[in-house]
Amino acid sequence: MGGPDESEQPMSARPRARTVLLPALALLAVAAGCGSDDGGGSTGEGDQIELTYWTHTHPPMTELNEQLIAEYEEANPNVNITYETIPNNDFGTKMLTSLSNGSGPDIINMDDSALRGEYIPKQLLAPIDPAAFGADSVEELEGRYVDGTLDGAKGDDGTLYGVPSEFNATAFAINTQHFADAGLDPANPPATWDDVSEYGQQLVAAGHEGFNFVYLHAGWYTQQLQTLLNETGGSILNEDGTGSALTEPESVEALQIWHDLIREDQVGDADTASREATSPFEDFASGRRSMTMIYPWAVEQIAIDNPETFENLAVVPLPQVDPANPSGRWYGYYFAVNKASEQQDEAWKFIEYMTSQHERWLEDVSFVQPLKDWEQSPAAADIPFLDVWSQAYQQGKFDEVGPHWSEVQDAIKAAVERSIFDGQPPAESLEEASESVEQSVTS
Amino acid sequence: MSAGVVQRPAVSPSPVPSPSRKRRPVGKVVVFVLLLAGGLVFASVFVYAALSAVKPADEILANPMSWLPSQWLWGNFALPFEETPFARYYLNSTVVGVSVTVLNVITCTLAGYGFSKFSFRGRNVLFLVVLATLMVPLEVIYVPLYALVFDLGWVNSFAGLIIPAATSAFGIFLMRQSIEGLPDELLEAARIDGAGELRILWHVVAPMMVSPMAALALFIFMTNWDSHLWPLLVGNDAEHQTLPVGLAAMQANNLGSGGIPMMMAAALLALLPTLLLFLVLQRKFVEGITMTAGIK
Amino acid sequence: MALTRTAPGRARTARARPPGSGASGWRRRRDAVGLVFALPALVLFAAFAIYPMLRVFQLSLYDYNLTSPPVWVGLDNFRFLFGDERFLASLGASLFYVVVTYGPAVLLALVLALGLNTRMRGSAFVRLLYFAPVATSWVAVSVIWRLVLQPEGLLNQTLNTDIPWLTSSSWAKWAIAIAAIWKEVGFFLIIFLAGLQNIPKDLQEAAALDGAGSLRRLRYVTLPLLKPITVVVLVMAVIRGFQSFSPQVVLTGGSFGTEVINLFVYKTAFASARMGRASAVAVLMFVLLLMVTFVQLRALRKSA
Repeated sequence: MGGPDESEQPMSARPRARTVLLPALALLAVAAGCGSDDGGGSTGEGDQIELTYWTHTHPPMTELNEQLIAEYEEANPNVNITYETIPNNDFGTKMLTSLSNGSGPDIINMDDSALRGEYIPKQLLAPIDPAAFGADSVEELEGRYVDGTLDGAKGDDGTLYGVPSEFNATAFAINTQHFADAGLDPANPPATWDDVSEYGQQLVAAGHEGFNFVYLHAGWYTQQLQTLLNETGGSILNEDGTGSALTEPESVEALQIWHDLIREDQVGDADTASREATSPFEDFASGRRSMTMIYPWAVEQIAIDNPETFENLAVVPLPQVDPANPSGRWYGYYFAVNKASEQQDEAWKFIEYMTSQHERWLEDVSFVQPLKDWEQSPAAADIPFLDVWSQAYQQGKFDEVGPHWSEVQDAIKAAVERSIFDGQPPAESLEEASESVEQSVTS
Repeated sequence: MSAGVVQRPAVSPSPVPSPSRKRRPVGKVVVFVLLLAGGLVFASVFVYAALSAVKPADEILANPMSWLPSQWLWGNFALPFEETPFARYYLNSTVVGVSVTVLNVITCTLAGYGFSKFSFRGRNVLFLVVLATLMVPLEVIYVPLYALVFDLGWVNSFAGLIIPAATSAFGIFLMRQSIEGLPDELLEAARIDGAGELRILWHVVAPMMVSPMAALALFIFMTNWDSHLWPLLVGNDAEHQTLPVGLAAMQANNLGSGGIPMMMAAALLALLPTLLLFLVLQRKFVEGITMTAGIK
Repeated sequence: MALTRTAPGRARTARARPPGSGASGWRRRRDAVGLVFALPALVLFAAFAIYPMLRVFQLSLYDYNLTSPPVWVGLDNFRFLFGDERFLASLGASLFYVVVTYGPAVLLALVLALGLNTRMRGSAFVRLLYFAPVATSWVAVSVIWRLVLQPEGLLNQTLNTDIPWLTSSSWAKWAIAIAAIWKEVGFFLIIFLAGLQNIPKDLQEAAALDGAGSLRRLRYVTLPLLKPITVVVLVMAVIRGFQSFSPQVVLTGGSFGTEVINLFVYKTAFASARMGRASAVAVLMFVLLLMVTFVQLRALRKSA
């Protein structure tokens, strides 16, 4: 390589340096030109306040967010809010990547698992500012909400980091027309999972898919198993969170229920279940499936997707393992503020406005913001099956979380898939999952 | 597709010596029919997708299936545009794809010329380093890369989508191998005539490198059109999201309620530009690949 | 590879040397122009590929969760990986994908190339049928294949089978391989056709005149001459195979034993926020691919 002569020629150094520099500068100029049209951050210029706000995608919610933002900007002309929606699948990725260098949005709207599992332990969020809500203390603010419903945005030490935009309990939906087809009485819905099996088989005989779970991403697998775990008394982690409890008999029972319904009693076909997920309740909404677990926001979506199914939809209490001792699953999405934001006061002010419109969240998109006596508000009066929902809001538990929870969710998804799709006995399948869960939470 | 495009031979083929053709015409025909049948099997996937896009939703996965729809719902092709910011995704992919392609052709041709026809110090080491980057799983360099792009202020901007992709190891490799094949005498002659290096590149080298440059352009455009993860990280809003990001979001999330017909229509619309481009440029593409010295 | 060859014709530059400066100085200045030409690409590379790569090598020795400062752990990440079932499984999944997809794809491409390397009327059209999938994007194609592979989709209905292609551990990896073979055959077909063009025609004709049948010509003339290009194809196949990401993401999301190495890296880095561990996987893959490429290129040199 190179010529034999290695002697330096000082004369050529300067032109060489210039030839090196010029293209580099030209490149930078081009790059700067492309980049100048918009920066990504949240730096305020003068009096103008720029806020960025990220949520997941849910079309009715997106629309309401846009309306409320427009109103807020109108009332506060010096505030400009950049609103961005990010698909659920990608939310964590985007969030962590951008937070890793202190960027990211000022305002985050995210579910309690992510908050408690990732953002709070990693100290990425700012503690709530009660003054923005006209409260003297966090206790006063908390007192406005139904007991326990803010726990989804609390750290281990009890510090509160957010207020809910939506708060969900779990109920059950049945298609009354399908029930009639199978000679079942819609007024007498299944109270236990045994009932679901029995009714399900009759519904299958009548040409419908009786019941099935939803098979989307790992979060969905985990939340459905968690719902069953809450009922059987099982859990994913042991009490101090240092290891797996998936092989405990109560935990195995949860997956056994799922396994028996689908593989033994065949009330639904997991292979043909929709994983396309243009909407998570596609199979129920399209009128293919007769029974499903359901959340308040989904009712609204079914009404939009298929009014015919909505006509025949009845919301009934979640079937129980032990009806005398009912249980359920809670989850919520919370407004929170990025600790790296330089405009936390403005961010909380905006959040205050968003939550002050709780009637419209309920009316327009069926999102419950669980202020005390929410069910007595005028907007709630229009919510179909309000009694079932308010009952469901009495008996819930937030999901478990722990370190590296996405790995735990992947392990659970794999375990459910082995049992439900490949037919592996639940005990064996959970044994395998248990090992990876142990490894995830301890390393 | 127009018959004119289709009929043109893809490669000017080396004719297999004629004696055998005369001796075994039947065998040739059998082989041809088999190849044609295989090709039609390949193409059937596209036909199936296209027909599914215009079928009523309940006929798509009906059993038994019928290829033809009971009614032709051409309006389904409007669904992605009505339900999602599809036109915007399309525009973004086009802007990013064209910019990245133009920049790559420029930077890779320059570098290819530099690496092949000059022996500056450190040349071989630099070239090996460039090649080595081909081996690293891209996914993982995105974290440090994202931090860098953020510091440059390019998150959620076209600069962030375009500049980091403005050159490529494969492109430099391709252009270096192609230009290396040019006789040095040609360049020397031009030099003796007093032509500057840029002039030589523009008037002597570039005209002879049209095929590899076209191959490179097509390759880069196709790769960029398919690029998924980086645009996902860098583009925050629909104004800066590309087709793969939009498509994957439609597939995996509740974006739009057009169901399978919408997805099929969107997928077909998304793959049309590269397919058409390929049909037009395929001859150049094959020639370009052939010229890459690594193959010779 | 001609990396160390000096350009012929170099000697003649002396003729044009300007008076008053040494021959080597002039040459060096001219050669420096080459560096200037390479510079835009090199600057971009340094910033957007080399720097992040070096960071990856560095981070592989740290525990880094993206949001707290990295903590030095030495070789712990590597030690963990060699005992981690999920990592080993993903290595297996990648290996399976490479072998089951690219083995048949390369073989099929070779056979098709031999058949299509003729001037027969219509062969250009047939070629296009095989080329078309190459020119499409993986995400779009995967969306389409998801439908083809549904229980009531095209594949099952054509084969008259009832196979849960995308939802069972026995089938999912084959299903992805089928889609990938469909997508990739054309790519290698193009390269093989290009290679066949470079085989001197007179060799074929001479063999034919000597009375060699077409099978014998294939065995003793065509295939040996195609050997170098086959090695190049195999290098490309291995690299493409090990870097696969999109089909697994869109078709199965990595379920049912289809979590390939890149998907594992992606999830480890971004979903689990274990940047150090993910970087360690990247380093291992880098070394592995480099070794494989090296071995293959040596084989090429021997055969050439």
